[in-house]
Amino acid sequence: MSATFRTSIEIAAAQEEVFDYFVRPELLVRWMGDYARLEASEGGIFSVDINGVMIRGHFVRVERPNLIEIAWGEAGNAAMPPGATRLLVTLAAQGAGTRLTLEHIGLVPPEAKKHAMGWPHFIARLAIAARGDDPGPDPWKTTPPG
Amino acid sequence: MVHKPLLVKRSDQQTTAALKALGEPRRVEILQLLRKGSLAVGEIAARVDVTQQAVSQHLAVLGQAGLVEARREGTRSVYAVRPDGFAPVEEFVRSFWTPRLRALKDDIEGKK
Repeated sequence: MSATFRTSIEIAAAQEEVFDYFVRPELLVRWMGDYARLEASEGGIFSVDINGVMIRGHFVRVERPNLIEIAWGEAGNAAMPPGATRLLVTLAAQGAGTRLTLEHIGLVPPEAKKHAMGWPHFIARLAIAARGDDPGPDPWKTTPPG
Repeated sequence: MVHKPLLVKRSDQQTTAALKALGEPRRVEILQLLRKGSLAVGEIAARVDVTQQAVSQHLAVLGQAGLVEARREGTRSVYAVRPDGFAPVEEFVRSFWTPRLRALKDDIEGKK
């Protein structure tokens, strides 16, 4: 019953290059979403529209080229308001390429809040993936799942 | 109009049920309580600001979604979290990120 999702992938590119794909809007939308507004600095806006799902939040940590932390939520989703979950992206040099580790953390620390929002990020994922699975124009859909 | 598959896979139904069940703050609260240990309906109601009847209804939804189960502890009937019930949900999150990261990898590497 983990509330953290963790995955990892190796990319044949330098850390700096992979890093840019998370902080430059025109590069982000090449793999996620249709429209993005990013201000890649601490507290800066993280905003991306994914097939009508409006992901809203802000950058928490931007440590080029090793780490990006994003507060991630959805506009209009009471269970997961903007910034409610955390996305942690770690980039580590591996040979000539980069090991990307992504963690999506939905649980707030138990001591921080009694009405802890346990698994709300899953709900947003449902909305996104449900729409992402729809036929129609969808840039990243041209790539088959792993 | 979205094309819908004629047959909804059982796993999809489970996932949807689980996500719907999780989409209610009270139910999340109840699950948080049950994570610490199994409780009877009355015990949950005493800790959550809703009536026992409402708790029962929430438990029914959670139970149908496979997220909690009723157990016997001696003469008591208690509710406990059912960890297996969360597997479809985790799989769902995976289904969001896996193709996206694959697309990221392909895009970067494709430029070489």
